[in-house]
This record gives sequence, C-alpha cells and structure tokens, in this order.
Amino acid sequence: MASSPKRRIAVTGLGLVTPVGNDVDTTWSALLAGKSGAAPITNFDASGFSTTFGAEVKGFDPETAIPNRKLLKYASKSHRFALAAASQALADAGIAPTEADSHRWGLAVGAGMLSVDYEDLKVVHRHAAADGNFNADGLMDPEFPGNPLAFCRWQANAGQALLTKQFGIRGYASSVHTACASGGQAIGTALKVMRRGQCDFMLAGGFDSMLNPLGISGFCLLGALSTDNDNPSGASRPFDLTRNGFVLGEGSGFLVLEDWDRAVARGAKIYAELAGDGNSLSAYRITDSPPDGNGPIQAIHQALGDAGITTGEVDYVNAHGTSTQMNDRSECAALKAVFADRISEVRVSSTKSSMGHLIAAAGAVEAAVCCLAIRDGIAPVNANYGTPDPDCDVNLVIGAPVKMKIRAALSNSLGFGGSNSSLVFRNPEEVQA
Amino acid sequence: MSDSRDPIVFTGSGIVCGAGGSVAEVWEKLSSGETAVRTFTQFDPAKWPVQVASEVLLSDRELVSDRKLHKTISRTDMFGIYAAEQALADSGLPAHRDALPEAEQATWNDRTGLVVGTGGGNYKSNYDYLPLMTEAEASSDGALHHFGKELGNQVTPMWLLKNLPNNVLCHVGIRGQYKGTNACITNQCSSGILAVAEAAYLIENGEAERMAAAGHDSPFEPEMVYYYHKLGLMSGEAPRPFDASRDGTVFGEGSAALVLEKESEATARGAKVIGEFLGFGCCNEATGIVDLADDGNGVSRAIEEALANAGITKDEVGLICAHGNGNQASDRTEAMGIQRVFGDQIPPVTAFKWCYGHLIAASGIADIVMTLEALRQGIAPGVATWKEVDPAIGAFPVSSANVAPKSKIALVICRGFGGMNVVVAVRARD
Repeated sequence: MASSPKRRIAVTGLGLVTPVGNDVDTTWSALLAGKSGAAPITNFDASGFSTTFGAEVKGFDPETAIPNRKLLKYASKSHRFALAAASQALADAGIAPTEADSHRWGLAVGAGMLSVDYEDLKVVHRHAAADGNFNADGLMDPEFPGNPLAFCRWQANAGQALLTKQFGIRGYASSVHTACASGGQAIGTALKVMRRGQCDFMLAGGFDSMLNPLGISGFCLLGALSTDNDNPSGASRPFDLTRNGFVLGEGSGFLVLEDWDRAVARGAKIYAELAGDGNSLSAYRITDSPPDGNGPIQAIHQALGDAGITTGEVDYVNAHGTSTQMNDRSECAALKAVFADRISEVRVSSTKSSMGHLIAAAGAVEAAVCCLAIRDGIAPVNANYGTPDPDCDVNLVIGAPVKMKIRAALSNSLGFGGSNSSLVFRNPEEVQA
Repeated sequence: MSDSRDPIVFTGSGIVCGAGGSVAEVWEKLSSGETAVRTFTQFDPAKWPVQVASEVLLSDRELVSDRKLHKTISRTDMFGIYAAEQALADSGLPAHRDALPEAEQATWNDRTGLVVGTGGGNYKSNYDYLPLMTEAEASSDGALHHFGKELGNQVTPMWLLKNLPNNVLCHVGIRGQYKGTNACITNQCSSGILAVAEAAYLIENGEAERMAAAGHDSPFEPEMVYYYHKLGLMSGEAPRPFDASRDGTVFGEGSAALVLEKESEATARGAKVIGEFLGFGCCNEATGIVDLADDGNGVSRAIEEALANAGITKDEVGLICAHGNGNQASDRTEAMGIQRVFGDQIPPVTAFKWCYGHLIAASGIADIVMTLEALRQGIAPGVATWKEVDPAIGAFPVSSANVAPKSKIALVICRGFGGMNVVVAVRARD
C-alpha cells in the first residue's frame, strides 16, 4: 500500500464531440434540455437493418475542428472526433505540451473496437472473395489496390498515435479497450499514471464510431439495440419499464488532468477533483449482467475508497444506464446495495437517454458531464422516462434537471463481458474546505 | 517502484508461441539456437513474397479444452486463455484459493485482478460477412439494404462476442472467478508489456493482492502480411536483429502471462518466486502511427525512466533483451538509444524474435517471461541468425552464441507503432 498521501489531481479542461453537440457548451445545454440526439441514420442506407436509427454526430467539419489537417488522411471518423475533442480540452485548460515539458505529458485513451469500413471490405471482397469465400491469393492480384493508409487507420493504437503526434505528447501513452467501460478505464489509468508521479499532465478520454454498416451489424446480430424505428428520440429510456435496448451513438470526450497544486498556482479554472477510480470484473456471464449487482458493487466501493470519501458525500450518480433490461436492473441493484439507506437521497440519471451509447467514448463523455454537473450545481435529466420499473426504484432526475449542490459525483461504466469502471469526481469547494 | 522491503514478485509464468506451449519448450529452442520460423500453413504460401511465420502448432482442443467456448471466442483468445491459465496454475494460486475456507474465497476473488494486453482485432473476423456481401452486391434492391435485411439469417449472432477485444479478460475471469481490478490494453506492440507494468502498480497501490498479466495476439493473417510487406517491414526468413543485412520482421502468434504478488504473500503461502518486478519506463516519440524518431530518444528516455523507477543504476544491469524486430530503422535507433545510456559499458544484448517471430501485442511480455528464464539459467541466448556487425550501429554486444548475463537484473525493451517505447526492469531469483 502506498504510504504517502495521494497526489491530488484536478480536471482543468474539457472537450466534447457528441450526438447532441460538437462542443462542450452545446452538448451541455442539450443534455439539460433533455434533447435527443437520435434520428434515422443518414451516413449510410440503414433501411434493411433491424435498427435504422442511431445518435450520429451532426454537422462535424474535420477541416475546421482539427488543427493539423495533414493528419486527416490517417484518421478514421472516430479519430477525427478524438482530435477535435482533445483540441477543445487543451484550449479550455489553456495549457499544452511545450518542448520543455512534453516528456511530462501523458495520454490515456479508450479506443473503439477495430472495425473495417464496408467500402474497404468490398475491395477485399472484389479481389479475394468474389464468391464469398476468402482466398488469400486474391491479395496478390496485381490489381488489388491495398491502401496502406487504411491499414494505418486500422491499427489498434492509431488514435493514440495521432493524438501524441498532434499535440507533441512524449511521456506515458496507452490505449485501452474494455468495451463500454473503455472511456472510464482510460481516465482511471490516467489518474494512476499521475498519482505515481510518472506524468504531471494527462490528456485522457475516449472515442468511438460504430455507426457504419459493419459496426452496427455486430450489435444488430446480438439484439442489443432498441428497435423503436418509428420513435428514435424516445428509444433510449434508461430505467423505464418499457426500455428495449440501447441507442448506438458516436463521438468523443476528453479531459485535461493536472496536478492540483500546480493548477491552483497558475490560477486555472478547476472543474473538479478526479478523486477516485475503481474497477472490477463481474465474472458472471459474457452477455448478462449479474442481477444482484455483484461486480459493479466492488467497482463503486473501490472508487469511493480510492477517493477517500463515504457514500454520504455522493449527491449525484451519472449512471451507465444503457436502457437495456438487464444492465439497468443490475446497476440499480448495485446502487441500492452500496448506498443502502441513503439511496433515496442520491440523484441518478443516465445521459444516454439523450446522447445514446457512445460505447468506448461513453465513460469519458460522461466523466465530462459529471464535471459540468458539479461546476453548475445541476443534475441533468434522465430523459424519456415514463413508466416506473419496480426493480429500478432509484431517485431518478425526471422531467427537468435539478439545481443542487453536488459535493461528489459518481460515474459508472459497465462493459460487455463484465468489466466495470467507476470514477469519483469531487467538487473543488469540498476539496478546499 | 517496487518497495524493496516487500518487493512485487513473479510467482508463475506461461507461454504459447510457435516455439512451444511451455516455458521449458520455448527455452529449449531459444537456448539451442533453433528458430521456430517455418513455412506457414494457414494459407497457401506459393504465390506470396513472404512464406514464413512462427505459427502455434497446438490444436484448438489443446489450447482450450472446453469446446463450447470455441464458438464464442477467436484464435487469439485461445492463446490468451491458455497462457494466462498456465501461469496461474504455475503460481499455485487457484489451488491455494480452493483450499481456503469458503467464507474467505469471495474476498480472495475480489482482491485478485487481471490485466490483459491484446492486439485488438483481426481482419479475418470480418470475413464472416463476405458470403452475405456477395449476395448483397448482386441484389437489385440496394446492396446495403439487402445486407442489413439478411444479416440475421446469414451471420452468427455471436459475431460481436467472438471478437470482443476484452474476451481473454472476461473468460479468464469467469472461468477462474477472479473479480478484482482489471484492464484491457490495446496499444499494439506495447500492450502486453504494459499489462505487466500496470499489474505491478495495481498491487503496489493496494488495489489488488495479486494479479495475472497476459498479452496475446494473432497478427499472422493474409492482410497483415500483405500490408507489412507493402510497408517494407517483412523479411522472407527468420529475422536477423542488429545484423548488418537484416531486412524485416516475421509474424509469430501466441501469448505469454505472468502472475504477480507481494513477496510477503508469496512466502506466506510457500510459493516459489521466479523473479522480481523492479520498475518500468514508458515514453512516446510523438511520431505518428508508423514513423520512428531518427535518434532513438524514446528508447533512451524509457531506459532512464525504468532505471530511476526501479531504483537501480545502469551498472547493475546484466542483460538487455532488446525489441530487435529485425527492421533496419527500428534496430538502428534502438541500438542508438541503448548506446546513449550505457556508452561503451553495454551489458550483453539479446533479442528473441529470430526464434518465435514478432508476437506484436504479446511480444514484450513473452520477452519478459523468457528473459526471466534466461537469467535463472544464467544463459543469455544468442541471436542465432546474427552474423555481421552493422557499421551504422557500431560496437554493440550482440552475438550469435549464448553468453553469460553479467547479473540477475535485465531490462526488457518493447517498441511499437504509435511511437511507443516501454522498458521493464526485472531481477531473477534462482
């Protein structure tokens, strides 16, 4: 056990590209208004799929959003969201790596699953599998137009590579993927790297975009998506009895993390303290969530313990709340087990009700939402809620956001396969008190 | 980084790669100069400019005996589960847990964590969609419309689950009921070595009592060979790290794993200790996806960081297991980085990719496992394919013959796409 007091870490910059806004202010206003980012899919012909809608990022112009346009050819859609959100976060923090301190800057990202573009697979199909059966010799066809740029974009850490290059980050760098818990785990990783003194500044976040034909296919096959094709904006209804699956979103969220004392010394605006991180494995079933919350419970306890606070100090929970039957029930069981008698005093909402599920980016985007909720003293709404589920009887923020002092906020991310990540953010006023 | 009064130690290891399915089998090849790079069999090499790889020869049944699981995982996951469970069995932890009073087992499980480094995905997973694509492209009602409509009838509902990058983490957890802290690192080559470093820190930070770290990958597949070759990264024969005529790397496949815990815990349960985790460094070159800094600054910075983190001086290092992937630029800049730190006092340098190929996400952790064995045996295996000093590198203590390490302490270097350089310092125990 580390004996010295834990180094305090401040969140001093935020950046967001989400289905409800291409920056922090637009996204936050939309979340407070409970506005939905879901609509029929426009990026490709989704008419044949069992789900024909999603929460797409809208009107995003990479040419203006990304500083170094030379990187664009190496950047897939999700990398572009990441470069834009990370740029925003650094601009917001008002700091960036310099020649003198670039080796003290680190990066931790939650990256989406590798998915090949339908058009790229079509090229392989044409040359190496016209009859449907892959024959490797087709790649040796002199006409096969293999594109090394597509290969580069497809590397597991291409996002990490583009971000470190874009901003000149020369210290620790890592890319993690635990499905829907990736973004939360990336921020937790960054916290550890800073606490152990390996870096003084970290850019931490997540990015994903599976709203493409092959990306959405996996979820359709699994039956995980809502099929409310006639009502996209009402389809994501976490904790509502009639919920029937999640709404696939895309986007990116980034945080700038900085040594607390240093941030105070430079007069930085501090959104929150990134105070604690907890992770656990449910070790239950690959697709199912443990009905009694055994798994998520340990992650929440560990995060609170890491933050050095009790359940009595948590006022707001940004739930994973995917709007699937099992996951929401499991998460509520965990919250009730952890908060026990206090459960009715803790306000809970899932902002996936507005943004949809950003998969590997979700935990990072929702971490930013927790910071904004603390800053403004307001808990965003759990939109689209109508029919109570007796198994999900937590104190949801329904109808309108609630003005309230938030001493500490908890953000949960519970991934496919049972990786659970919980983060605790504390109000700067509580820290200084 | 590790507390010298109660160091973090390795109590179990496991490996599967082209050179064998155990530490002993791989050591036999490494120490006798025998490469496991062979003509590949998973597709017909006849028309390919590259015809060799280091394939795992074990069958699916030998890798994972539960056949039901085969339908829901991919080849790379089988390697990961095999090596992780081999390392856990080697540590004696599962048997130790099972002998505990039942009331203590839940807490024990909650305090047992896993970190896995994985390649993240394979091109071939998408080939499941090719038959449907043939039909869709011929369809009159729009290719994508047809593709979406027929998807559920033609592709397995398990597709996503089969290809989850965090599958090894989940399945080792489910099979062993390990429920503690965890992470899945998808950072290309550096994934597996980072898994070891992060696992050590999770113990040091009190987040778990004991951890298994694993790295696994199956980069050997046609599209990967095609692109690596197109980028000039592939050799047509076993790689020749640091040799003047080196011309690229060769893919391997497989997995390696280590079990870590505090020495006091290991001693208390009477476990054998094979080595210590001393510390690590991780530095990025900010050069983009495939480019390298031309001065090897990431390598030297990562070595310095690892030495400082481990609390050791460079003079204490008795062996360096280099990344040595056999590429001209990578090996040259790696040697420059080593030379910058050690000057003319470089300990013996070896590299293992000539034997079992480049395991990409599993490469660094496989090198740690085999470096620990080398230190324990007191033999630094030579780079059997090395012949001639590269004038661009100059004096560099690499040889084709086995030599003796100068001490029980080694540095393992792992480099990767994305400007990554990770160095782990370990000390072996007899």
